[in-house]
Amino acid sequence: MRRDSSSLDKLLENPRVWRGHSQAHAAPGLTSGYEVLDRHLPGGGWPQSSLTEILVEHYGIGELRLLMPALAELSAEDSSQEYSEPGWIAWVAPPFQPYPPALQQWGINLSRMLIVRPKNDSEMLWSAEQALSSGTCAAVLLWPDVLDDQASRRLQLAAEKGNSWGIAFRPPAARTEPSAAALRIELQSSGEGTRLHILKSRGGRPAVLHDLL
Amino acid sequence: MAAARHHRSSQGLTSQHSLALEEPRAERQAVTAPVLKRLWFCIYLPHLPLEASGPGDEARVVVAEQQGIHRVLLASAKAESAGILPGQSANAALALLPMLRVEPRSEIAEQQALENLSCWLEQFTSVVCFAGPDVLLVEIAGSLRLYGGLLSLRQQIAAGLEQQGFSASLAIAPTPLAATWLAKGGRRACIREPVNLAAALRTLSLACLDWPDTVCESLIGMGVRNIGDCLRLPREGFARRFGPQRLIELDRALGRLPDPRTSWRAPERFCRDYEMTEEQSDRELLLAICRELLLSLERFLLTRQLGAQSVLFSFFHLHGPATQLRLGCAEAERLTDRWFDLLRIRFEKLTLPESVISVRLRGGRTQALRPESGRLRFQGRTAAQGLRFSMTQLAERLVARVGNQSVAGVTTFAEHRPQLAWRPQGLLSGKTGNAALIVRRGLQRPLWMLPEPALLRVDEGYPLHQGRLRILEGPERLETGWWDEDGIARDYYMAVNPHGMCLWVFRNRSRTASWYLHGFFG
Repeated sequence: MRRDSSSLDKLLENPRVWRGHSQAHAAPGLTSGYEVLDRHLPGGGWPQSSLTEILVEHYGIGELRLLMPALAELSAEDSSQEYSEPGWIAWVAPPFQPYPPALQQWGINLSRMLIVRPKNDSEMLWSAEQALSSGTCAAVLLWPDVLDDQASRRLQLAAEKGNSWGIAFRPPAARTEPSAAALRIELQSSGEGTRLHILKSRGGRPAVLHDLL
Repeated sequence: MAAARHHRSSQGLTSQHSLALEEPRAERQAVTAPVLKRLWFCIYLPHLPLEASGPGDEARVVVAEQQGIHRVLLASAKAESAGILPGQSANAALALLPMLRVEPRSEIAEQQALENLSCWLEQFTSVVCFAGPDVLLVEIAGSLRLYGGLLSLRQQIAAGLEQQGFSASLAIAPTPLAATWLAKGGRRACIREPVNLAAALRTLSLACLDWPDTVCESLIGMGVRNIGDCLRLPREGFARRFGPQRLIELDRALGRLPDPRTSWRAPERFCRDYEMTEEQSDRELLLAICRELLLSLERFLLTRQLGAQSVLFSFFHLHGPATQLRLGCAEAERLTDRWFDLLRIRFEKLTLPESVISVRLRGGRTQALRPESGRLRFQGRTAAQGLRFSMTQLAERLVARVGNQSVAGVTTFAEHRPQLAWRPQGLLSGKTGNAALIVRRGLQRPLWMLPEPALLRVDEGYPLHQGRLRILEGPERLETGWWDEDGIARDYYMAVNPHGMCLWVFRNRSRTASWYLHGFFG
């Protein structure tokens, strides 16, 4: 037995062996506030400095509630770090008006909210890219009509550059399209409950979670 | 002892007879207060007519009309090597070199060039004076320490002049006239002490003095060829023969009489044109020109410690009205790069109806720049990863491209009516006054709000939205606002539809109790 495990270790030391889990230790994620979800995400939370895609069919099934604890954490004045400034949260092309009293109930710092309403898709992508790469925004939420592979790659790079968290909301039909996002989640809801499906997770594994919210 | 006595007597002798080598006794006694030391830097631009008409090293001449004949005033180096000399008629010059570009002298362009130079010189000192059509005087005694000493300052000015395409003769002296004469005499003199003035000026020829020809001729007729000869003449006789003005000039040059100068003041508003020799439609080139203009705006603002809040570009066309492009900043700004960033964003979308013949940049309202001391940042996101630009900069960029109405922050407002409980807030308008209204914990408020409540269809008494709604919670009665026109009387419910969408719906408490959708619990 002992011998076996040592030969396995030897095998694993071989640089040609790539393990999916190994990247998970690299970057700690931002806790999502939902323990079950954290356990399934590499780094124990939302991957930062990258793009996350959330596929939803209908609005109002909890797609924002899923993010709220993490966004509140990002926009909070952190008293333990005296010299740090809370990041801004940019909303690019939201489908409706984000309602400030409710955001405040969730603990979002309203003085750090930025809402951009671009006139068309190219302006939308431009604004999102600017906000992501500026280094000022902790999170950028966007609702693109279309997001092709190239655009998602650009957003992913901008997020890396600006150390920002991009969250793109897309219809479920987009699940077959390629994307550069580090994390893709599909949120489905029926009368019975909500189902969260991790479609792609860099350094993690796909999973299906029930009744999270 | 004897030598000393002899020396003193010879001194007495000269002071009786000569103009300059010794100062009059009375004046020496009068000087009791500490004299404010001045140092004048003279920039003499002998080739100004040629250089003001634009850069270019091809063969060209500037001509001026003298008694009905166009004569060459100045020739470029290439033209001179072809044998063209100042004073020739334009026709003769063209015969020598048919390729020659002949330009009429433009005094307006020269004046403009001098003013541009003065603007530029204002970064070195606050005293810039015009002393004739091709001479600029700059007082630098107060600037020496800041610019690292006399030699370093001189080098900086000389390098700047060369970069701007001017060939200048420079001289430094304690009096403005002495500096001017030395520069015109082509001496690269640098005199700090007034006592050394006389010795330096002595060998200068009379041609440097700008005296009328008749005066110079009669002086030369007397065998007086340079300033030193002049100074040897008796004062009274000199004043009688050539007028007291000449004597005063000599005294001023030697620092015996004060020589007050009025300093030139640049206009408070920046406005500069860039004229092109031919129409251009190359957008990259136009951008480069705009950048050039912004650079001079930055210099202009820097000397005044100001920032501009807006700038206006005008692109002039040969036919038709000019195309205008206005840029605005949240805070007064002078850095070229920031303006250029904004310009590039707007310029992409600008349509020019035809090609451009000249570009004008006007600076808008200016404002004193308040230098902000940055906070030390040891931790947090800004320190760890290089911050590319601040929130204000990001907001400016977004506003420039997307429009002012489309970029906003939000704030809450103490009001029971859901529609009125929040307001958009301009990001560029200043401080965010956040009314600390927290909705009571028990109350449910949706994360998404519809701009206007949407009427819901009803099926057998059940409201519909992609299926029949099931009420989860409610009602929450909101009956308020009777004091103005938007009074409401509503019962709000939290409802869910077959897709699992969580809705915020209400029913009016009037007789026609229709259902409305007001938001989603995202």
